[in-house]
Amino acid sequence: MDFAIDYILIPFIKIFIVFNVVAGVVALLTLAERKVAAWIQVRLGPMRVGPYGILQPLADGIKLMLKEDIVPAGADKWIFTLAPVISLVPAFIVFAVIPFGPADAFTIMGHKVGYVITDLNIGVLYVLSISSVSILGIILGGWASNSKYPLLGALRSAAQMVSYEVALGFSIIGVLILAGSLSLVKIVEAQKAAGYWYVFLQPLGFILFFACGIAETNRAPFDLPEAESELVAGFHTEYSGFRFSIYFIAEYASMIVVSCMAVTLFWGGWLRPFPNVHILDFLDAIPLAPLFWFAAKVVVFIYAYLWFRWTWPRYRYDQLMKVGWQWLLPLAMANVIVTAVLVLLLKG
Amino acid sequence: MSTKEEQTLFDASEITVSMGPQHPSTHGVLQVKLKLDGERVIDAECVIGYLHRGVEKLGEAQTYGQFVPTLDRMDYIAAVSNCLGYCEAVEKLLSVTAPPRAQYIRVIMTELNRISSHLLWLGTHAIDLGAVTVFLYCFREREEILKIFENYCGARLTTHMFRIGGTQYEIYEGFQDQVRAFVKDFPKKADEYETLLTENRIWIGRTRGVGVISAKDAIDMGLSGPSLRGSGVEWDLRKAKPYAVYSDFQFDIPVGEHGDTYDRYMVRLEEMRQSARIVGQAVEKIPDGPLMAKMSKIIKPPIGDIYHSIEAPKGELGYYIVSDGSTQAYRTRVRPPSFVNLQSLKRMVAGHMVADVVAIIGTLDIVLGEIDR
Amino acid sequence: MKVRRPNLTLLKKIFLVDLIRGLFLTFSYQRPSLNYTEQYPKVRPKIAERFRGAPRLNNDPETGETLCIACNLCALACPEHCIEVGWERDAHGKKALTEYTFDISRCMFCGLCEDACPTPALELTQDFELGLYDRRDMKWDRQKLEEGNQPVVYTK
Repeated sequence: MDFAIDYILIPFIKIFIVFNVVAGVVALLTLAERKVAAWIQVRLGPMRVGPYGILQPLADGIKLMLKEDIVPAGADKWIFTLAPVISLVPAFIVFAVIPFGPADAFTIMGHKVGYVITDLNIGVLYVLSISSVSILGIILGGWASNSKYPLLGALRSAAQMVSYEVALGFSIIGVLILAGSLSLVKIVEAQKAAGYWYVFLQPLGFILFFACGIAETNRAPFDLPEAESELVAGFHTEYSGFRFSIYFIAEYASMIVVSCMAVTLFWGGWLRPFPNVHILDFLDAIPLAPLFWFAAKVVVFIYAYLWFRWTWPRYRYDQLMKVGWQWLLPLAMANVIVTAVLVLLLKG
Repeated sequence: MSTKEEQTLFDASEITVSMGPQHPSTHGVLQVKLKLDGERVIDAECVIGYLHRGVEKLGEAQTYGQFVPTLDRMDYIAAVSNCLGYCEAVEKLLSVTAPPRAQYIRVIMTELNRISSHLLWLGTHAIDLGAVTVFLYCFREREEILKIFENYCGARLTTHMFRIGGTQYEIYEGFQDQVRAFVKDFPKKADEYETLLTENRIWIGRTRGVGVISAKDAIDMGLSGPSLRGSGVEWDLRKAKPYAVYSDFQFDIPVGEHGDTYDRYMVRLEEMRQSARIVGQAVEKIPDGPLMAKMSKIIKPPIGDIYHSIEAPKGELGYYIVSDGSTQAYRTRVRPPSFVNLQSLKRMVAGHMVADVVAIIGTLDIVLGEIDR
Repeated sequence: MKVRRPNLTLLKKIFLVDLIRGLFLTFSYQRPSLNYTEQYPKVRPKIAERFRGAPRLNNDPETGETLCIACNLCALACPEHCIEVGWERDAHGKKALTEYTFDISRCMFCGLCEDACPTPALELTQDFELGLYDRRDMKWDRQKLEEGNQPVVYTK
């Protein structure tokens, strides 16, 4: 019975909550994107659906669902249908290991319940490997459309993802050396024990991680696979209606994933600022304090995502490759070496 | 590819992509047939004519005065320049000169229109390269100009601002203040665009060395306007063959050096500042006097022909008018800058990537209404 | 005059100065006071006095009779030939207006008719809301022109 509760009921409830919250946040993000873009561009953004346009995501969703579902002639129907799903599912299942708070926060009727669905001991690897699957969805979608612009977009994304995945992996290793663990919960706990967030020891690592993360999620200034002014809409040119919205949700969900990862690895996860200064302990007294701090940090990164997109121009394909291989990767490698040497010297 | 078996993946080593006529960044209904090797452009072919409305033929079917509003629909972004060129050409044919007050108003409006045209160009060019926000900032300033136009003549885009022999409308109350405020404010706004673009490494990467055309090639191709000056040729009809009252004003002609997209961007930015300078000078000394030259209401030029060209925002805009002595022209021919500039596209894009094609289409500053007429 | 061609110094390059300056600019523009949006139709836009919009035939405000003298100059001036003036001679042999049609589907609001009109009869008003559901409704007759266009005004 205990087994059933610990391994089936509690995870199921957690998954239900996380899934719905993430889906809700994605909906809000579509609004946030439009609102932030509008504010930056001295506009107001959506204002007509609900007060200040807050019901706009709902209207968008209904509109997209009611649209005609078009499959282009000559498209590979099966793959065309499957591709958005392939891109969506990994973006969501990554949340299984993201710690939104301590792993054993409280006990309900003798069962330990934490803010994380499962504390996997190889959490970082799990995230990296699963999130690279969603690329498959983009490539397949572009290829199955039987159209030239999506094909070009798919090819671009394949090359882009492969090259940035490497640098992304390297940029994390510094943190792993410091924490000595692959479990995301342990990494945050190590930051608590150390008394500082790892971003202060790994500023370069963080910048590289975030840059690669932006590239991984196809956002500006690395949004080449869907560069609307060059490739019309890139890999999802031929997608319409709900299929298109699945791609859309996947993109925003992976934005949240990258933000969550950046927070967990570099910005102390659920920890409040100055986690070991006890004068500030009252900050933890807020109900659901870990969730609050986690969410607050994630919001900052999401905002940065939107901010970058509406400020900078877009890289060209070859320049993107150059940035990836000539700058980010060597810097990430150097970061790893320097961190390793310093850790060896200082900790002995 | 030696055997058929090797051509498995995509069946061909080069693909043909039809960019346009429905494409977000071909600036209208331009179709460019691109032959691509991967992302690299091997060959490009422009297909035009999707917006042909027979403007030149209309010039033979309407009286001189009636034809003027039609011309606004040619380069609809710089309607005032179109209007000015034609009005001056017909005035030359009639041997009339517009009175100085009208001339000054014409210069102010044309230069404001040059700024608004360049602003629209900058916005769309930046959008092509992914910087969306610049577009909205540019439109904010353009809105101020359009408000001046609306207050002056009652229309914002297709203005029909001048008449043959002068201008129809007297300046409105507060005109000078509004223009002064704009001229004062504009350089600051231009600096903001520069903050977002000029030194931005991505912008530099996307524009430097892209679409290079040498001065000699540019002249051979018949390029004009900022596209020519970007290559370092100091040729501006406002200075070379002064028309209207341009000789009264101090202004510089910005020229580039390398003939690439970046230089053309800098040339246009500087041109906007210079235009603001001209407007600032002109608005201070608008002379008194009549608005229309003394001439008969029915325009009947003597038999003969005339070619008159002005410096439109996009380049040399010329009108060739043949008169048979009646109220309608025997033949009207337009030399549109966009049409001539577009022919250098093929040379500029060869060897570049797809992303550069949109940059180069953008940097040529074409308007399809003018190309197809 | 040669245009500038600035190059990034190494220090600027390393510390991403060019990118960060752009970020500051866009960030500072988020103040609501800098907003430029006009909330049409909730807020009515300011239309210039000289705006060339929907045509109207003016009546003499005192007598209520039309100011149009049926001279046909507007019809002659129109490049699109969208004006038709109907008249008859009255008892004194003077021209009197009977009908007046204005095809606004062809009109390009160039204002030449307004220029040509020797009386203040024909006027292009500030009304710009000319959307219609039926193309046939775009041929305005004398009655409609004298009443002026009455668009539906949405407040919410």
